[in-house]
Amino acid sequence: MVVSLLITCLVAAFALSEVYAVTKPKIDQQKIDATTSALIQVLPAAQTFKEVEKDSLWYGLDAAGAKVGIVVRSGARGYGGPVPLLVALDLTGRISGVKVEDLKETPGLGLKATEDWFAKQFIGLDSTVALKKEGGTIDAISGATITSRAAARGVAQSIRKYSEHLKP
Amino acid sequence: MTSQKPSRLSYLTSGIIKENPVLILMIGLCPTLATTTSARDALGMSAAASFVLIFSNVVVSLVRKFVQPSIRIPIFIIIISTFVTIIDYVLQAYQPSLYRVLGVFVPLIVVNCIILGRAEAFAYSHGVFDSFLDGLGNALGFTLALVILGSLREFFAVGTVFGKTLTPNWYRSAPMLFMIFPPGAFFLIGILKALAVKLKLGK
Repeated sequence: MVVSLLITCLVAAFALSEVYAVTKPKIDQQKIDATTSALIQVLPAAQTFKEVEKDSLWYGLDAAGAKVGIVVRSGARGYGGPVPLLVALDLTGRISGVKVEDLKETPGLGLKATEDWFAKQFIGLDSTVALKKEGGTIDAISGATITSRAAARGVAQSIRKYSEHLKP
Repeated sequence: MTSQKPSRLSYLTSGIIKENPVLILMIGLCPTLATTTSARDALGMSAAASFVLIFSNVVVSLVRKFVQPSIRIPIFIIIISTFVTIIDYVLQAYQPSLYRVLGVFVPLIVVNCIILGRAEAFAYSHGVFDSFLDGLGNALGFTLALVILGSLREFFAVGTVFGKTLTPNWYRSAPMLFMIFPPGAFFLIGILKALAVKLKLGK
């Protein structure tokens, strides 16, 4: 009885370690690729990215290695968990791109924050980022005020990060 | 199972309609309801579960002579969780977007009652080839139920099936959004269950 359990466990452990060894480099590569392609999307001016704070802040560098902007990841609380955002700011502190990442909001309502028109509203702003009803310029998604507000707050947080890192 | 000795073919076909795990036996409902918000996700989920179901059935049948009845459940769980972990790694490595959507439901295949149920009720007492057919039949039944449910929910809630637009603009501007929420899943599975029972009785 003990022997058959032991053998089963050994065989299972061996099989899994083999599969793990084969898939591990692929999995790591997928994660890096996903991050890099998202970074390029929000800051197309950059050629390479230097990670400054793990998984949350990158400097975008051009071909010569000079800074062209920063990308900040933030996650203000939405309706169904954090609303993860990548916000890119150029050297002058203006927003050059916003991307809503893996969002877990309600399909059809909060999930509409992943649509292009919503993220585009932030581009070009440099100071006041808030919903229209709170004195800003951002149109909220109808039926998803909480998600929209979380996105606006996340972008505002990123702008504060900019002043810590790049402000001349 | 009927009293006379069932034919090989019936091992394969019984899981599809007559003993469809989801629509007739009503097991494995958790992944069925949770991962059918679109046809593509439903297909991905059923592919992952089918892989585990077929292989665990075959392996359980292979080792059944060496497994004493008192420790069969732990052994089944080890076998099933090994295959689940394999599919988990493979999805992460080669299908990351699908993996993100399915999320926690991939590891949860371990406790899918269809898989443990087939190991216990069939593979532990049948030959390897018969167990393979039984696993395949049940996998097809599971896939059928999930893909139909996923397609219907996507069709009604978004107006597309497998991402292809099938409805006019006026529908997509105000679709039946609730179909993508849990109530929509219960609503549709009730209708599907009724249809499946009618099909079964009509035979």
